[in-house]
Amino acid sequence: MIEIKNLSVLYAGNTEESLSDVNLSLQKGDFICVLGKSGAGKSTFIRCINGLQKPTGGEILLDGKTITYAKEEDLRKIRREMGMIFQHFNLIPRLSVLQNVMTGTFGYRNSFKNLFGMFTAEELKRARSVIAEVGLAEMATRRIENLSGGQKQRVGIARALVQQPRVLLGDEPVASLDPGTSDRIFTLLKEMHERLGLLTIINVHDIELAKRYATRIVALKDGKVIFDGLPKDFKEAEYQETYESQSADAYFGAEI
Amino acid sequence: MIDFLSQWFPMDFSLLPNMVQDTLETLAMAFLGSVFGLIIALPISFLAARNTSPSPILFQFSRIALSFVRSIPEIVFGLILLTTLGLGPFPAVIAIMFHNIGVFGKLISELIEAADPGPQEAMKAVGSKTWVANLFSILPQIWPNVLSQFFYRFEVAIRTSLILGFIGGGGIGQRLFNDFKTFQYSSVSLDVLIIMIMVIIIDFLASSIRKRII
Repeated sequence: MIEIKNLSVLYAGNTEESLSDVNLSLQKGDFICVLGKSGAGKSTFIRCINGLQKPTGGEILLDGKTITYAKEEDLRKIRREMGMIFQHFNLIPRLSVLQNVMTGTFGYRNSFKNLFGMFTAEELKRARSVIAEVGLAEMATRRIENLSGGQKQRVGIARALVQQPRVLLGDEPVASLDPGTSDRIFTLLKEMHERLGLLTIINVHDIELAKRYATRIVALKDGKVIFDGLPKDFKEAEYQETYESQSADAYFGAEI
Repeated sequence: MIDFLSQWFPMDFSLLPNMVQDTLETLAMAFLGSVFGLIIALPISFLAARNTSPSPILFQFSRIALSFVRSIPEIVFGLILLTTLGLGPFPAVIAIMFHNIGVFGKLISELIEAADPGPQEAMKAVGSKTWVANLFSILPQIWPNVLSQFFYRFEVAIRTSLILGFIGGGGIGQRLFNDFKTFQYSSVSLDVLIIMIMVIIIDFLASSIRKRII
């Protein structure tokens, strides 16, 4: 579904590439967790997929069509097929849950109607049902500021789902949430992933979550893919290589 | 001094209805001047903010244009416009508007630059057009600050329109000036009192409106 060929990103002013020569083939139904240290290129990788970051080399294809070299108008069409959730939620402050979720439809609507806040009954119904699916039905009219972190991320997920995406991207969606909440968010993501038959690509720091939910793990180090395979094959050696850590026992020791 | 001020009392209430009418005229001048200033400045602010400007040329051009209108005091605009367009409140409104475009443009473009970039990115990621993304992600963030700046500029515009009244812009300012120049001190005292009451009422209204909107 998504084909990544020789992808490289070099930020202006840097001498080392943030991503170098990444080649991956991502299929519908994959629930991919991307692991790696801070600065390994995880965010850059995710942001390249929906064109928020322009690569300096290589290309990404969606169903054989280029994302990397797409024209602005085509890029908008590609983006609306990709829901994205963020570490800091990136919701619009001072608006209600429902209003925030409605912004997910902006890619589909002509801008003149957007401006006057007119939404079709069908879109409104879809937004309400998505809000109910993420478990916020009673909070639809509440302001974003009055929600907890976990609830905010649920709104973020609802905004992504109202787009009716085929691909779901997550840039460290649980990095600022506590472990219990993170787990519940992942349960929700996995449920939606399976029900809607998505391709899901998520950056995580928490290797335990990755092993529990992912169907495929990709590990990045210094911008290169050093592991791509099933979660059960991601063992201590791979962990050590990914994180260059002497204290792998701290995690793996507990299991034994 | 005491001799002079004693001439201000007792106040002469005989012209109160005319004074109230002039006060409303002053309010209208200040209000229209700042509202039109805000409406025109709002789109320009997006061109003059580094993060939302469509092109560097437009950015520089709008910045310079805003500095230019801001650097000219209302009284200068007033003198030019009252001479060319004739006496009365209309040129005064235009004078206030021009200066306010410059002031609002600077303040709002700085608010836009300071807005959280996260929501803008999220709007881009859902595939919305850039200008829609900017509008919907930034405006709700900056709205309370825009509003309080508007009320502050409205208050300033009331004082400005008094000064513009002195040079023939109409309103309570012109009446105050005329009463003063014709030694009608018992009317001057009432003019001043009315102006004070007006400013206090506006301040009170502004804070209650702002409280309700935020």
